Amino acid sequence: MSAAWKQRLFRTRPEDALPITVEHQRVYIVPTKRGFAFLFALLLMLIASINYSLSLGYALCFLLCGLFAATLLHTYSNLAGIRIHAIDSTDCFAGEKARFTVRLSEQGNRPRQGITIRTRAGESTGKFVIGNNTQTIALDISTKARGQIMLGRITIQSDWPLGLWTCWCYLHVPASCLIYPQPEADAPPLPGTTADNPGARPTNNTQGDIGGLRKYQRGDALSLIAWKSAARGLGLQVKMFESSNEHGKTILNLQQTGLVDLEAQLSRLCAWVLQAESQQCEYELSLAGSDTATNSETAQMTRTLQALAMHGQLT
Amino acid sequence: MNADSPGWKRWLPVVHRGQSNRMHRRTVYALAILLLLVQLPHAVNLPIWVSLLGGSLVAARLFLLQYPGNWILNKILSPLSVTCIAISSAFLLRWDFGYLIGRDPSVAFLFILVAAKFAEVRRSSDATLLLCLAAFLLLTQYFYSQSIIAAAITLPGVIALGYALSILRDPANPANARSQLRLIMTLLVQGLPLAAVLFLVFPRLSSPLWSLPDDATATSGLSDSMSPGSISELSQSDSVAFRVEFNGAPPANHQLYWRGPVLTEFNGRSWHESRQNLESTRHYQGPASNLTSYSVMLQPHKQRWLFALEAAVGLPQTQHSSTNPNQPAPTDAATDTTTNKPQGAPGRFFSDGQIKADKPVTQILRYYQSSVLTDAVTPKHYPLKETLYLPGRNTRSIAFAQELYKTFDSEKAYAEGVMEFFNRESYRYTLKPGLLGDRPVDEFIFDTKAGFCEHYASAFVVLMRAADIPARVVTGYLGGEMNAGYMIVRQSDAHAWAEAFIDGQWHRFDPTGAVAPMRVERSLAAALPEEATQSGLSRTRHDWFRKAQLRWDALNHQWQRLIVNFDKASQSRLLDKLGLNKPALWQIAVVILAIAAIWSYLILGMPGMASRQQSQAERQWHRLTRLLKARGLVRLNDETPQEFLNRATMIWPKHSERLNRMQTHFTAVRFEPADRATLSQLSKQIDRDFLALWFSLRPRKRQSTKPVNLAGIGNR
Repeated sequence: MSAAWKQRLFRTRPEDALPITVEHQRVYIVPTKRGFAFLFALLLMLIASINYSLSLGYALCFLLCGLFAATLLHTYSNLAGIRIHAIDSTDCFAGEKARFTVRLSEQGNRPRQGITIRTRAGESTGKFVIGNNTQTIALDISTKARGQIMLGRITIQSDWPLGLWTCWCYLHVPASCLIYPQPEADAPPLPGTTADNPGARPTNNTQGDIGGLRKYQRGDALSLIAWKSAARGLGLQVKMFESSNEHGKTILNLQQTGLVDLEAQLSRLCAWVLQAESQQCEYELSLAGSDTATNSETAQMTRTLQALAMHGQLT
Repeated sequence: MNADSPGWKRWLPVVHRGQSNRMHRRTVYALAILLLLVQLPHAVNLPIWVSLLGGSLVAARLFLLQYPGNWILNKILSPLSVTCIAISSAFLLRWDFGYLIGRDPSVAFLFILVAAKFAEVRRSSDATLLLCLAAFLLLTQYFYSQSIIAAAITLPGVIALGYALSILRDPANPANARSQLRLIMTLLVQGLPLAAVLFLVFPRLSSPLWSLPDDATATSGLSDSMSPGSISELSQSDSVAFRVEFNGAPPANHQLYWRGPVLTEFNGRSWHESRQNLESTRHYQGPASNLTSYSVMLQPHKQRWLFALEAAVGLPQTQHSSTNPNQPAPTDAATDTTTNKPQGAPGRFFSDGQIKADKPVTQILRYYQSSVLTDAVTPKHYPLKETLYLPGRNTRSIAFAQELYKTFDSEKAYAEGVMEFFNRESYRYTLKPGLLGDRPVDEFIFDTKAGFCEHYASAFVVLMRAADIPARVVTGYLGGEMNAGYMIVRQSDAHAWAEAFIDGQWHRFDPTGAVAPMRVERSLAAALPEEATQSGLSRTRHDWFRKAQLRWDALNHQWQRLIVNFDKASQSRLLDKLGLNKPALWQIAVVILAIAAIWSYLILGMPGMASRQQSQAERQWHRLTRLLKARGLVRLNDETPQEFLNRATMIWPKHSERLNRMQTHFTAVRFEPADRATLSQLSKQIDRDFLALWFSLRPRKRQSTKPVNLAGIGNR
C-alpha cells in the first residue's frame, strides 16, 4: 500500500490543516456490533418469511431493512458538515492531564448528536451535542514523561440515531503540547533562600566569584562546603558565590541541584522555578543548548519551563 | 512522524471497550414496552397460560426495578430460577401441544424464552440479544394471521423496537421521548420506499426451503364426511370461504355450484369420500366453449380441495396464461389426456371430478380457473361399483324406491319423478330438522319430512342407488354475494346436492331446489328468512352495519389480493409489465442498488439532512480554487481567500474586476447575515462570474501542455 493511500485511508501523518469540514471523502461508516446482530435477526426473519411464504413477514423484514438503511444516511449526515476550526493545547506538568481543546461547530442548522472525540490511546470525551455556534470540547490526555507530545490522530465518531451504524472520520493535525518535568515534591528551597526566610535574595550559586561564607545547612551540597575554613576550625561553612550576575538574577543550572539523574535534576529545577515564581524573585535558567534569555513576549516562567521540558530532546 | 512505518495496520480503528455494563433504568423500561407490545398480538394465538407466564415475567422484572431490594423477586428472577422456569415450560408445552418440534410449540417456547431472558437480564450487553429475539417474535404472529389488523398491530411494535434501539444507544441521553419517537417515525417513513421496492423485486420462492412437521390444527369449512346436521351447522357461520373475481359478468345464482368434496361411501348414516379415488384426467370431456373464467382467493381451510364451478375444464393455474390474459382458458382443453400435472398448477384432478391441492391449503391461495356451466358431464370412465352400494339399513326407502321406479319408463324420468316427489309431498326446508335415529334416511323420508340440504341430497342418492342408478353426494357452496366487483362466498353458502349417472352422463340434481327454490335462486337467508335471522345471519337488518361489513370485506379482499398473496406469480406478472422478463439475480441486484442510490440521494437532499445554503458558498469557493489550481495558481496553506484572490488578480489582471466581485460576494455569503433571497442572488452572481472565468481561462490549443507553475508568483 502506497504511502499516499495510507495517508488517505488512515491519516497516518499529521498533515491535516485546519479548519476542516468533515466531508464524505473522509467519513467511514460501518454497522456496529448491534447493527450486525440486527442484520442477523433480519436474515433469520427473511428465511422464516421465505419458508412459510409470509408476505407480511417479507413486508416487516423489508420495513426494518428500510429503517436500517435510513439510519445509515442519518448517521452519516450527523457527522458530515462538522467543521473543526482549531485545536489548541495547554502545556502541563508530567503526570497531569494535557488538555487539547477542539473548537468546532456544525454547518447545517441542525444539532449534531452524540459526537465523541477519541485519541488513539483511548482517551475520549463524552457524548456531546454540537450546535451552530462554535464550541470548545476539551480532550484530556494523561501524561507520564516530560517532553513534547503529539495529539496524534483523533477520531470524531458518532452512532446516532439508533446505534446501528458507527460513523467516524480521522483527523491528524500537527497539534502538540509540551509536558514540563514533574516538579519535585518536597524539593529543597531555592538556592540562596532559607525555608524560614523565603523572601531573601537567593545567594547560593555555584557560579561566579566566591563572595563569602555562611553556616552549613542540611541539604547543602558537599562540594560547596568550604573545607579550608573547616580545617581552620571555624566549623562547617558553605561557600557563598557572587550569586547574581550584573542584572541581579539568580542563575539556575543542573549542577546546582546536586543530583545525578537528569530527570531528577530537571524535576528539582522545575520545582525551583515554581518556587521562584511564587516568591517573585528574578531568576534565569542556564541550560546547555537552550536559550531562555531570548527577548520574546512569552512569560519568563513559560519559557523556562519549556526549556526544561525540551532539554536534551530533539524537536 | 510515522510516515512510512511498516505496520500500517496499527492505524486501523481501535476498539475500545465501553463503559459500565449495568443496564440502565430507561433501557429496562424501553425493553419492557417493546416486549409487551410484541406479546400482545400473540395472546389470541397461544395457550392462555403461556401468555400469562410471559406477561407476568415482564411485570415481575418491572417490579424488581421498582423494589430492587425485594428478596423474593430477586430469588425468582435469578438466572437459575428463570432457567428452571424456561425448562419446565418446555415440558409443559410438550404436554399441552402433544409435541414440541413444530411451528406452534416453537413459537410458544420462543415467547416464553424472550420473557424469561428479560426477567433475568441485568447487563446492558444482553439487551441486543433481547431486541433481536423480540423482532423475530414480532414476525411469528404472521403464522396465525396476515390480516390488516395483524399488520396494524405490528406497527406499534416496530416503533417500540426503534425506540428501544435509540434508548439503548445512549440510555443517559435526556432527550425526550416525543422527539425520539418523531425521529423513528421519520426513519421508518424514509425507509418505506426502499422497503416497497424490496418487497416487489426481492426474488420469491414458490416452494419452502424446508418443511417442518405439519401442525395439527383445526380445519374450517367443509370436511370429507357428511352426516345429518353437519352442513346446517356450517350455515351458522358468516366467515368467508373464498372470494371470486369473474372475468365478465357473474353467472346467475342457480348456476353457481362450487364443487367441493365428493362423497361416495355410505354407511347408512354418514357419507365419506371414496377411498378408491385416484388421480385422473379432467372430469369434463365436452367442448371448451362458452367458458366462464374467474379467479378464486381461497381462504386457508387446511384441507386439500379446491373449489371450481361445475364443470371445470382445466386445472387451476396460479397465474394467467401469458398468451391470452383475457381468456385464461387452457389452450389444450380438448386434447389434454395425460395425467401429468402442468407447471404452475396448484392441484390435480381426481376420478370423481374433485380438484385437490398437493398439500393442505394453509395460506391464502389464489388460482385462476375456467369452467363450462353445465349440469351434465360426460366422464371418461364408467362409475365405480361403489356408487351403487347401499348398506341394508334404510330398508323402507329402498323398497319405496324400487316401487317408484317401476312407474317410470326411463332412469331420467325416474330421477325427475323423485325430484317431483320431494316437491309434491309436504317436505319442509329447515335448519332445525330434529334428531334422527339409526335409519336417518327412512326417518327423514317418511316420518320427519323436514330437513336441510344434506338430508335431501342424502335421501335422493339413496333413492337413486336403490333403483340401480349410480349416484353420489357432492358438497360445496351454492351462490355467493357480489360486493364491489367481486363475489364473497361464505361458509353459510355451504350446500350439498346429488349427482346421478344417467345415459352415460353425470347429471346434477338438487333436491333442495325442489323443496325451497329460493335457496337455489337467491340465498339461504332468502329461503329461510326467520330461521336465518334467529341464527345470527341478520343480513337484512341493520343496513348500515351490513354496508360497513361489506366495505371492510372489500378492503380485506384487496389487501389479500395485493399484499398477502403477492407471490412468485404476481411478482413475475409485475416484472413482465415493467418489461423485465425473468430477470437474472444480478439484474435484480443492479435494480435494487440503483434504486437505493437514487433513494439515498433524495433522502440526503431533504431539508434537515443537508446544509444547502452555507455549504454552497463553500462549494463555489472550492470550485474556484480547483480551477485556479488547474491553471497553475495553487493556494498556499496559510493564505486567506483575500490574499489568494489578490494574487490571482496580479496574474490575470484582465479579470480583476470579476475576481474582486467574487471575493466580496464570498465574504458576504460567508460572514454577513442576510435573508435567503439576497443570499441566493449573490450565489447566482458567483456562479455567473465563475462560468465566465472558466470560459476565458480554459486552456488554449497547444498553448502549453502542462500548467505553468505560478505558485511563487505574486507571493507575499
